[in-house]
Amino acid sequence: MLWLVSAQLVNGIAIGMIYALMSFGLSIIKGLLNIPNFAHGALYALGAYICYSAVSMGLPFALGLLAAFAGAALAGWALQRFAIQPASKSGYLAQLVTLFGAALVIEQMLLIGWGTIGLSYSPPPLLRGAVNLGFTVVPKYIAFASVFSALVIVSVWLLIERTKFGAYLRAGIERPDTTRALGVNVDLLLGVGMMMGAGLAGLAGGLALPLVGATSTMGGDMLGIAFVVLVIGGLGSLYGSVAAGVLVGVVQSLTAIAAPAASTAIIYAAMIGILLFRPQGLFGER
Amino acid sequence: MQMTPTRRAFLSYAAAFGTAPILPAVAQKTATVTMGVITPTTGTFAYAGDLVARGAALALEMHGSNVLGTNVRLLTRDDEGKPASGVRRVQEAATSDGMRYFIGAYSSAVGLAESEVAQREKLLQFAAGGSEDFTGTRCGRYTFQWSAHPYTAIRATLEYVRKSFPQKKTIYTLTADYVFGHALLKYTRIVAAELGFELVGNDNHPFGERQYTQYLTKVVAAKPDILLLNTAGADAVTAIRQFANFGADNISLVGPWTLEVDQLAELAPEMRTGLILGQNYYPDVDTPANKEFVAAYNKKFAALPGYSSAYAYDAIRTLLLAMENANSVEVPAVIKALERMSWDGVLGRMSIDPKTHQLVRPYFVARCKPASAMRHAADFAEIVATGNAPQPSQLNECKQMPEL
Repeated sequence: MLWLVSAQLVNGIAIGMIYALMSFGLSIIKGLLNIPNFAHGALYALGAYICYSAVSMGLPFALGLLAAFAGAALAGWALQRFAIQPASKSGYLAQLVTLFGAALVIEQMLLIGWGTIGLSYSPPPLLRGAVNLGFTVVPKYIAFASVFSALVIVSVWLLIERTKFGAYLRAGIERPDTTRALGVNVDLLLGVGMMMGAGLAGLAGGLALPLVGATSTMGGDMLGIAFVVLVIGGLGSLYGSVAAGVLVGVVQSLTAIAAPAASTAIIYAAMIGILLFRPQGLFGER
Repeated sequence: MQMTPTRRAFLSYAAAFGTAPILPAVAQKTATVTMGVITPTTGTFAYAGDLVARGAALALEMHGSNVLGTNVRLLTRDDEGKPASGVRRVQEAATSDGMRYFIGAYSSAVGLAESEVAQREKLLQFAAGGSEDFTGTRCGRYTFQWSAHPYTAIRATLEYVRKSFPQKKTIYTLTADYVFGHALLKYTRIVAAELGFELVGNDNHPFGERQYTQYLTKVVAAKPDILLLNTAGADAVTAIRQFANFGADNISLVGPWTLEVDQLAELAPEMRTGLILGQNYYPDVDTPANKEFVAAYNKKFAALPGYSSAYAYDAIRTLLLAMENANSVEVPAVIKALERMSWDGVLGRMSIDPKTHQLVRPYFVARCKPASAMRHAADFAEIVATGNAPQPSQLNECKQMPEL
């Protein structure tokens, strides 16, 4: 039994890191724009499709991931510049509706551009097969995806916490009016922040391609989990989403031992519990 | 000169315009047979919706859109893959559009919900899906089942595995947690005992699951000879993609009712090579009716048909044949004709079991080819076995068909 728990723990951490990457981008955008990005799932799907097209053209998978990041970041910038920014003049609700609409538009564009049939891609030969840890086997690709996600999150953390740009960004999130008064172009900052958050969604989509393929509706599936992670971690907490991502992955994985059919339902039940008893989330502040 | 309408003229126009919408509706109900195509164009089974509609339209077109001198029209509605939506669409189509026949749904859960409306409103339903309840506990005089019985599917698939891979003896099952998966699991247990397989584990997964590694970790740890996927659609595609990442080549992947030919394109060639799949339909089926169907479909859509299109084509074709056989387009007469008919269908010589309304038909087992062996882009697999063992009568729970 102990080996099974250990095996599921390893699997949960690995999957949780991918959830964390997705939620991290969502958390950045939530912090910057103070709105839940309902188009985040669609940007994740866009990243998967862009990555697929890149590797289909013969580019290495690493470049496919880069293209997924860049493509989604560009779409995020366009979304911010031409949809969210104008809608912000009409208030919060208008921004929400705009993001809902943008998600639908992106999904339909994916269908028009890539067709209705889902697409699959096998990882590069180096990342195929599994690593035998003695008590369990872990697919090499899942191990790679989780380590890669962790590295990306650490890099973005360093960028936000240890650079001047990061300081501006944090100031823009926490005190936008004061930051603007100090002569910082907050709109530009928001655009760059949106690009970063959207790019991370696209990167997560590219990373997920060998695991879940590319389908126009894949964003909706992942967005549900990303919001659960965001709520559990705390809506205002950038790094709470990382810890909550891993936690959700582990809980989901461990539940599969005793009650496999409940492994997805339990994370939504946990979210409801958090909302009832600790609305600020595990790592958020009131 | 300006015309000023009199009050009498105004009332005449109003009466004429007011009754105008009614007249075609009355005419429609008397001179046209309306058949519904209730199918998902959104949701988990969205890929199937258009394909079902294509097959139905082709069958009607090849029949001249006419039967016994009466026009036949098709009505297409999206059931969204949801029982509540399916029930609403069927009810609306019956009440507002005079629909008396329908094919649907693609999903068992939706089809079973629609079956209740069919019995209540006396509509003839030609259903598809993997639940045994259509012809078991929830059988009804107005519902017919086109797809094979789960017993037939499991028996044909595992019989092939037993004969071709006698060294493979242990099975781990991954089962979709709804009526379809439960029916497959029930018959997996029965057939495994009949054929001498040992079941070493099972996990139920929720419908629409997108994360399978927690189940697959358990599967790989149990070291079975076979992973039997009692799941279908996008769920099955995702499970297979993630299983491919484990590199567990010593575990054979078998799907008794998992992926139809329509969905094989969604898997990369290396993911599907060697997959053993039970099939309700495969374009290579060697019958005159299927050759005619495949040729017409290919000419019209420049593609090979799959299960979704074949189901719709064959169901509509059968209904038209039954109307001719009954010399009537009235539902009770057509039901009686179907219950006693035997005909050459797309799948071969076919009939209906009058006690259950299950289509008596063959089931096919296909093995996926490596990319190097494919002759064209859609040449995914070859038929390696055919089975037609019906559900043992002592296992059937359809009490008695009610009077019409």
